[in-house]
Amino acid sequence: MEPGQYQRNHEAISREEQLILAKKRVLVAGCGGLGGYVIENLGRVGVGHLRLVDSDLFEESNLNRQLLSSHMNLGRPKVLAAKQRMQAVNPNIDVEDFQTRINSENAQQLMQGCELVVDCLDNIPSRKVLQAACEKADLPLIHGAVAGWRGQVCVVLPGEKLLDKLYPSQEMERGEEARQGTLSFTAATVGSIQASLAVNQLLGKMTWGKKVLLIDLLEAQFQTIDLD
Amino acid sequence: MIKVNTEDHPWTKALSVQELLDEKGYIFPHIVVRINGEYVEEDDYPTLMVQDGDDVLVLHLIAGG
Repeated sequence: MEPGQYQRNHEAISREEQLILAKKRVLVAGCGGLGGYVIENLGRVGVGHLRLVDSDLFEESNLNRQLLSSHMNLGRPKVLAAKQRMQAVNPNIDVEDFQTRINSENAQQLMQGCELVVDCLDNIPSRKVLQAACEKADLPLIHGAVAGWRGQVCVVLPGEKLLDKLYPSQEMERGEEARQGTLSFTAATVGSIQASLAVNQLLGKMTWGKKVLLIDLLEAQFQTIDLD
Repeated sequence: MIKVNTEDHPWTKALSVQELLDEKGYIFPHIVVRINGEYVEEDDYPTLMVQDGDDVLVLHLIAGG
């Protein structure tokens, strides 16, 4: 029987779709600013299996934006905080935690058994490692990134390599966020859009295409740009 | 007429990439520029000229999580 927890998902998500989501396994790479909101949304909507990967511990500078951080858990692993929160929010789902940094050696193994990957990482080289591993594993990647008031989101299907177009330089590690920081509402907006695209993709409800959604919260503007 | 991020932009004279960025207010240091799908190196911004009919894509380099 379906948990009453999902009652208000319907009919935006049908009962049949709810059962499909319950069987899906999603890898969330990064449990910081974006990852916190992605995990919150995927867990609440009822994606049945979440695999969380992050090597970091919470620190004071995370408190301005990272949903899972609090003064109570400074110094604790982000993946453990995420798992504990999901156990409290939705005990109907299964959460696996891996306190490790994603690299070219472990990325594919971490993706084993997953149907989709969400990119919530914080640097360009790791994002490209994730894209390459998704390519090999034939998995869709939901990319999101933030800096200050701005963000971007796209769906990268195997073969598209859209991150090469967003990050053409081989040398750059970080972008505008190194200068501007990151704001809470930007992370919440971008992370929530990533989660909606992930659910959309898992249910096969739409085709995204080779494009990027650019978000500018300072001007309250959303723009979709073709990357083909 | 040229296109900048899918929107029409009047083309009255040949502008360098840098002049176009200044005119459009792209002032951040980390920017990705493509013209007709080809990536433009930052070193070429002052000398590469944008031609009538070009399709210019300008993205802020954003990578925070």
